[in-house]
Amino acid sequence: MISLTSPVETWAHDVPAGVKLAALSAATVGLFALQNPIWLGVALVCAGAIVLSGGLRFARAAARSLRILIPFLALIAVWHGVTGQIEAGLVVALRLLTALTLANFVTMTTRLTDMVAVAAFLLSPLRRFGLSTRAFELSIALVVRFTPAIAQKGGLLAEAWRARAARRVGWQIVMPLAAIALDDADHVADALRARGGLDQTP
Amino acid sequence: MLEDVSVRLGDVDVLSAISLRMQERRVGIVGRNGSGKTTLARIIAGLQAPTRGSARIDGDDMARDRKSALRAVGILFQNPDHQIIFPTVDEEIAFGLMQLGHDRDAAARETSAILSRFGKSGWHGAATHSLSQGQKQLVCLMAVLAMRPRLIVLDEPYSGLDIPTRMQLVRYVDAVEASVVQITHDPDHVRAFDRVIWLDEGSVRMDGPTDEVLAAFEAQMTAWGQDDDLSDLAG
Repeated sequence: MISLTSPVETWAHDVPAGVKLAALSAATVGLFALQNPIWLGVALVCAGAIVLSGGLRFARAAARSLRILIPFLALIAVWHGVTGQIEAGLVVALRLLTALTLANFVTMTTRLTDMVAVAAFLLSPLRRFGLSTRAFELSIALVVRFTPAIAQKGGLLAEAWRARAARRVGWQIVMPLAAIALDDADHVADALRARGGLDQTP
Repeated sequence: MLEDVSVRLGDVDVLSAISLRMQERRVGIVGRNGSGKTTLARIIAGLQAPTRGSARIDGDDMARDRKSALRAVGILFQNPDHQIIFPTVDEEIAFGLMQLGHDRDAAARETSAILSRFGKSGWHGAATHSLSQGQKQLVCLMAVLAMRPRLIVLDEPYSGLDIPTRMQLVRYVDAVEASVVQITHDPDHVRAFDRVIWLDEGSVRMDGPTDEVLAAFEAQMTAWGQDDDLSDLAG
């Protein structure tokens, strides 16, 4: 699966998704209650320890996916450096880093289907108002299924371009890619219809 | 059974007045590209309503009565990428079962059952995106068979597959208990079938025992192969 779930099995993979998400929410609220950079530093060390408990390979993968935060942290440092509020900047940066380390840990140790099941459970009160949570579950599955498929088709178009052009791939492939995506949507609609569409027969 | 089926797209007749009654266990439908084979497959599976006429299985209209259609007919698309809706093998197979009214647990049990029946228990949780073309086609076949339809429509199921992959899939299809209607342009794929229907420009050109129809079909295909009708543009 292309989801962000880590293939390295850790102890946290066996913890129910609902428990992990609830703990994550509680921890995030707690982080906002902490104002002292020293305590936030302790929290970050704890979060790091939790990630490390999944093994070195797992922790390295986790660190890789957190690299995306570097520009934001740099921006915070510059801003607070300029305005002279070093301590406030440190608090914000530590809080952000700790919260995302934990969130990333939950993401990496929870299968997408379990995540969707929790979301569906939380949305279940909506069913009383006649809204279908089925459509929501299905749309998540479709996004996960077709994101790599469409990316791959974009790659093929780019290749077809490069096979006959020395220049870099241009914006001209956007239209055919959109057409392909629409065409795919047609096929999925057919595939859904072939097996009963959105409504479930009782 | 097809009754006087016609399909018009714009002002082109894709299928014109086709009436067929099929009872054989294995029926092949052969024809050239653009002869209307895929449209016919879609009509039989009830994915498309004909402009005129109707497609019925045991009396139920496949395009109108979708609930009955789900139990009556399953279709395997030419391109498995067009058929697979879900990111994992389990979800893909369980979907149709849940559509038939099974709850989540029952669907999961049936999914395991079909995977083990095909000796593919190792495919639990596998990502559909990473499968080979032949594996994808097999997942589609398992997903269709799991729903236990009485008839399975196969639309060029082996195109683009290498010989060993094709031979393995053929073995799975041969073992299918349900009736099979297979669409193909390759006479070899339906040589062992009970009956063959030759579709040409949207009409039935010939219909009968496999040997007779395939002999005539092959002779005509070879004759056309000497010509140059690639030059002719449609419309």
